[in-house]
Amino acid sequence: MKKNNLFIYIKEKIQGQNILLALLLLIVLVSIGALIVPGFSSSISIRSMLLLAAFLGLASLGQTLCALLGGIDLSIPYIIGSANILLASLLNMGLLPILAIIIILVCGIIVGLINGLLSYRLQGQSIVVTLGVGFIVVGISQIFTSSGVYGGNVLTQVPQWIRNMSSFGGSTFGFPLPPVVFVWLFISIIMVTIMSRTLFGRSFYAVGGNKRASSRILISEFKIWNLAYAMSGFMSAMTGMILLGFSGGGYVGVGDPYLFTTIAAVVIGGTSLLGGQGGYGSTVVGALVLTVLTSLLVGLGLSYAMQQSVFGLLIIPMVALYARSPHIRDQI
Amino acid sequence: MNYLSLKLNKFYSYNPRFEREKHLLVPIVLIILLFTVIAFRAPQLFSNNGIGGAIIIIAPLILAALALTPIALVGRGGVDLSVGPLIGFINVSLVSWLVGNGYTSPFLVVSYVLGAGILYQVIVAAIIIYVRVSPIIVTLSGYLVLTGVNLTIMNRPSGFSPEWMFNWGYGGEILSPIFFILSFMIIIWFLFSRTVFYQQILLTGADERMAFASGINTVATRFGAHIMAGIFAGMAAFTYTALISSGDPTQGNTYTLAAITAMVLGGTSPAGGIGGGLGSILGSINMYMISYVLATFNFGNVSGFVTQASTGVYLQFHYLLIVL
Repeated sequence: MKKNNLFIYIKEKIQGQNILLALLLLIVLVSIGALIVPGFSSSISIRSMLLLAAFLGLASLGQTLCALLGGIDLSIPYIIGSANILLASLLNMGLLPILAIIIILVCGIIVGLINGLLSYRLQGQSIVVTLGVGFIVVGISQIFTSSGVYGGNVLTQVPQWIRNMSSFGGSTFGFPLPPVVFVWLFISIIMVTIMSRTLFGRSFYAVGGNKRASSRILISEFKIWNLAYAMSGFMSAMTGMILLGFSGGGYVGVGDPYLFTTIAAVVIGGTSLLGGQGGYGSTVVGALVLTVLTSLLVGLGLSYAMQQSVFGLLIIPMVALYARSPHIRDQI
Repeated sequence: MNYLSLKLNKFYSYNPRFEREKHLLVPIVLIILLFTVIAFRAPQLFSNNGIGGAIIIIAPLILAALALTPIALVGRGGVDLSVGPLIGFINVSLVSWLVGNGYTSPFLVVSYVLGAGILYQVIVAAIIIYVRVSPIIVTLSGYLVLTGVNLTIMNRPSGFSPEWMFNWGYGGEILSPIFFILSFMIIIWFLFSRTVFYQQILLTGADERMAFASGINTVATRFGAHIMAGIFAGMAAFTYTALISSGDPTQGNTYTLAAITAMVLGGTSPAGGIGGGLGSILGSINMYMISYVLATFNFGNVSGFVTQASTGVYLQFHYLLIVL
């Protein structure tokens, strides 16, 4: 009897702490990798894992906010690709890099706002709405940059500081890690603090948890919803530009892998797509899990195709652990 | 709701049949518009060759959009993201496992594509129902798994379709075998949409709790909707194999986004309960004609993106009409 109580106590403690599961998974994966894949824990391999996790983590920030509200943003890969080629072609036009970056960030926010405004009234259909917006964005930016495009590629001379920002050999004040990793760390700390400590951050959970209750305590769902999507557009634009430093040339398809991996990172971390549960801290762990798992699978000699399959097989049990909806007879 | 839509609603609600078919308004207007434009800009589409070729290309898209429709109608935000990779999977496994080993009898091939489609959808339905994870996650997972499996079965486009299928992909005449298969499947859809079972799908999608409380077996309904989806996905893969006459592990994936777009353009809501098969058929035809019309303008090397952007614009336009 006593043992049973203890079990229930632990279960209650763990409930809602989905990040623990993801952390456990991360630790297991790292240990397995370190044990069976030679060179897994070398500094080069850790550096590349952190770099790739930083891209995924930055791209998934907006997806996390949208998921907290019960929405989804599928325009992320298209905004990433567009920002990537737009920055390259604006640099080609001879614009000051800083000016070009600001223009693209503003464009990202505008696209995010369009996403938010359109999907606010059609919340059940945010998947298709954001997908459509993504089509438009990538189409328009292709047409805009068409003069220098060869099969979606825009050739350009990327400034040294953008290159250093996110290339593999980049360093931060002499420390051998590209600055983007620290930027990610910095943004994560701020984000987690805001989401858990401020009224503004908590209102995302309120809206995601119960819309009617949150409107009763004067939280504007409209404002929060649009902010989440605007933030998503902003972060996607930023990721797209950072990826230009990584690849050294603009390519519109650079965001394509992020179509489903951002959702996978959010879900594996422990944010339920139903809304109201999880947070950016979980997504950070989710992004790390995905990246470590990728390196592990590569180390084991699995092809890219089989990695996708393993990701897919991982998602359902992870979600089943914490985001099951109640049985229909309990919903009435 | 503003004044205009109130007035429109009043107009529709005089006749319950209008109320139910309201979602067809936009696709019908669009199809008339597109027919007019094509009649002026590209009349060659209306020749024997033009229509024959169009049917061959459009058949997999129509069938894929019809496969998505029952899953969307049955609700819970069920957009089947995995329909494209499923078509790809049936295609590559048919080409490399069956044809590669010399099993090419038409009966065997058709039962294989149907069986594979149904089996996959039953597994997906079982996970949605018993594990109670939201459909979008299950189908996302299916998308990733099948994409990987397809590339493992066949790492690049290769192989041949069954011999008797070789000349189906030319499309020189209207009454091709594909035409008859497509017509047969559309007839099946319309028979299906006259059944009580279809009504139960709509009811479950519109309000699952109310359907459950009214004594509808929502579990069986959901399984049934997925089985219908499997049948249509299987036939989509069959016509797709005829179209490309070989196996291709990656091109099938493009059908996911195309079919979702076609379904939504046809007025079927992924939120459940609203829409129907006719809408998805019209939506697919509209999609094809949009790209056909745009191909007549000379956009040079960005034409693919113009098509993509315009599809996006139509989608948003469609949503604006719903919202206003």
